[in-house]
Amino acid sequence: MRDWSRDGTARDERVAAGRVLARGKAVHRDDAAKLLEALLKPGDRVCLEGDNQKQADLLAEALTRVDPAVVHDLHMVQSGVVLPEHLDVFESGIAKRLDYSYSGPQAARVARMLFGGKIELGAVHTYLELFARYFIDLTPHVALIAAVSADRDGNLYTGPNTEDTPTVVEATTFKNGVVVAQVNEIVDRVPRVDIPGDRVHFVVEAGRPFYVEPLFTRDPGAVTETQILTAMLAIKGIYAPYAVKRLNHGIGFNTAAIELLLPTYADRLGLKGEICTHWALNPHPTLIPAIESGWVEQIHSFGSEVGMDDYIRARPDVYFTGADGSLRSNRAFCQTAGLYACDMFIGSTLQIDLAGHSSTVTTSRVAGFGGAPNMGSDPRGRRHPSAPWLKAGREADPDAPAPLRRGRKLVVQIGETFGDGNVPLFVEKLDALNLAEKLDLELAPVMVYADDTTHIVTEEGVANLLLCRSPAEREQAIRGVAGYTEIGRGRDRAMVERLRARKVIQRPEDLGVDPLDADRSLLAARSVKDLVHWSGGLYAPPAKFRNW
Amino acid sequence: MSDLTPGGTSESGRGGVSWYEASARQRVRLLLDAGSFTEFVGPEQRETSPHLQVFDLPEQFDDGMVVGAGTLGGGAVLVAAQEGRFMGGAFGEVHGAKLTGLLRAARDLTSTPVLILFDTGGVRLQEANAGELAIAEIMRAVVEARHAGVTVLGLVGGRSGCFGGGGLIAGCCSALAVSEQGRIGVSGPEVIETNRGVEEFDSKDRPLVWRTTGGKHRRLIGGADAFADDTVDAFRACALDLLRTTGPLTLDTLRNEQARLRERLDRFGACADARDVWAKRGVDDAGAVPGLPADDFIALAGRVAEPSHDAR
Repeated sequence: MRDWSRDGTARDERVAAGRVLARGKAVHRDDAAKLLEALLKPGDRVCLEGDNQKQADLLAEALTRVDPAVVHDLHMVQSGVVLPEHLDVFESGIAKRLDYSYSGPQAARVARMLFGGKIELGAVHTYLELFARYFIDLTPHVALIAAVSADRDGNLYTGPNTEDTPTVVEATTFKNGVVVAQVNEIVDRVPRVDIPGDRVHFVVEAGRPFYVEPLFTRDPGAVTETQILTAMLAIKGIYAPYAVKRLNHGIGFNTAAIELLLPTYADRLGLKGEICTHWALNPHPTLIPAIESGWVEQIHSFGSEVGMDDYIRARPDVYFTGADGSLRSNRAFCQTAGLYACDMFIGSTLQIDLAGHSSTVTTSRVAGFGGAPNMGSDPRGRRHPSAPWLKAGREADPDAPAPLRRGRKLVVQIGETFGDGNVPLFVEKLDALNLAEKLDLELAPVMVYADDTTHIVTEEGVANLLLCRSPAEREQAIRGVAGYTEIGRGRDRAMVERLRARKVIQRPEDLGVDPLDADRSLLAARSVKDLVHWSGGLYAPPAKFRNW
Repeated sequence: MSDLTPGGTSESGRGGVSWYEASARQRVRLLLDAGSFTEFVGPEQRETSPHLQVFDLPEQFDDGMVVGAGTLGGGAVLVAAQEGRFMGGAFGEVHGAKLTGLLRAARDLTSTPVLILFDTGGVRLQEANAGELAIAEIMRAVVEARHAGVTVLGLVGGRSGCFGGGGLIAGCCSALAVSEQGRIGVSGPEVIETNRGVEEFDSKDRPLVWRTTGGKHRRLIGGADAFADDTVDAFRACALDLLRTTGPLTLDTLRNEQARLRERLDRFGACADARDVWAKRGVDDAGAVPGLPADDFIALAGRVAEPSHDAR
């Protein structure tokens, strides 16, 4: 007769092997590598927790020290490839196969190792997509996670940076996997229970906080006047006419500029209460002036942001907080919220092609996606109406009968025609395609597909792709806002003027925006210190953002 | 929280305009009495750098230096302002010559004060010899003007701070007003780190950099004579005040300065950090100084800063 609980038995054997090193659930940090050697088997699927923000850094380091003769060929299934250790394990043969989502700082090394054959790539995912696969075909055998504190029973407090942890634990524990948590400290009683102790098998006290990257902080002092102009165009050309209340902002100075113009420029346009009231957003410091000016009803967050914890704690009407008062973030839920309950995504990108595909990949860097392709896509499963969604759907397909017409999510790409180092934003062919050819990938790593992109904003104006009726119109709409780039100079002037007459392209003057008004004095805060003042001293910026 | 209006949220009044954010021309226009400024060798004369073209670098018609005459509180002044957003406000041949000429005119007039609105990283590398010579000429011209009875004030609060030769010229002025953002020094943080190692000075440790070169430290050790909040109005008030109170350059001034520099070295030479200096100066909570709002800091500096007698 078949044994229906072989996985459970295997799990019990792993746990028993680990218990040798433990007192209760606690394992000393000096024994962390030995613990992993006891738990892991060759070929295991392992989730080493880490995303674009928090990192299980102690366990990542411990994994590099296991004996490759004992533990090898692991299949890493993790959100972020961010720390050097995440790739060191591939160099030494401890790990072999990789399915991931994001690799900011390690993007160049990932590309080199993929090309050198050190990494066998499964796929590059969006966060939500990878989480989904944890429950279907990439379920971890062992999860190595990070929390702020644990009690003796293994109950975990993940603090403001809860992020991926509940999802990873859910998929691992309830499918016969083993969960190891590194915690800053072991305490008698955790401030709140984010992960119940019966889902956690081992706890390692790190004696120091896990690493968190302040990824979402933008210094208002570095916002340029061109970025302010694009922000004004976005507010007047998109936020206002669609009355976008529920939205997500990508990372970058363009969106930071929009946040800093809400209490000033947008307020003068009479938009307070009409736009930007409900957010799926990390706690961006640049949103503080808008929150303090009463613009924001509520914000749900993927993670926290370094230095924002006290401010969030003092604004529980705005943020999601626990009984202990601190932020509760949850990446999976917030990604779902960004997909289904937001009417707009707006973000920056590095390259846009003539169809409107956009990518942040260059030939030498595989940065991954994070959450942007999820947020920046039209959810086909959406069924609830809202004014911006219906208006966008009407623009895309004016002749369809209204009760049968899908709405459209607004997916906006914003940037300057020439970006950092005067590199043009618009290209004939995405570097992502060159990379796919070089690495023999079946799919090019495209951040936002053309058929999801509804608007492109540059300092030259706003292109509304929903109103384009043919691929040729679409190409000219894109060329029309591409300024003096090669793509822009290749435009058909007559067709661009016709598109402008139909408001497919709107120039600053068409929107009543004078580029000379795009001045830094419009920013509600012009320095990190201004943000601290706005927060009433509650925002505590990390040292790298301080100039005092 | 609506009463919280961070430094300069509107262009409507001059008080609201941030000195740090303003251009050289905005600073001059808003610092002086309204409508009183007349420019010498203005951009319409296109006295551009003779060197930058060689390097295929963009020129500016005023070479990043605005000089002229106007009135401040009704009294005549000469004024020079560096544009920190053009080549980091660096000194080149034309840039320097405009300031030298202004200072020599002041020397000959003998009683018209000069305001120098510093915003510079030092000498322009592309015209190094001309720039170095300009620094030497300007320093001599400052001292000659002061010797002839002219008060030369330096105002420091721009993006590029006041470094390199700019720091040396500032050291020759009769008095300095500085804001928190106004860093004063000779070698910049990256230069120190490159030459002496990260153990000596970690240029990426921004709080360290700012508490060592920033305006608060300069004010507390007496290197700057007045501290301005980051607004044009605050700098104007400081300038008016310093013009009233700054004394002439005499042999006694120099003797006092020398004595004070010697004493500073004796008292603080062993301090490893600006905070140690502040604590020795009598600041109770030295760690809190960088976070103090301008008004509180000015009150603190009034209690503990060294009396001004010219040492920088």
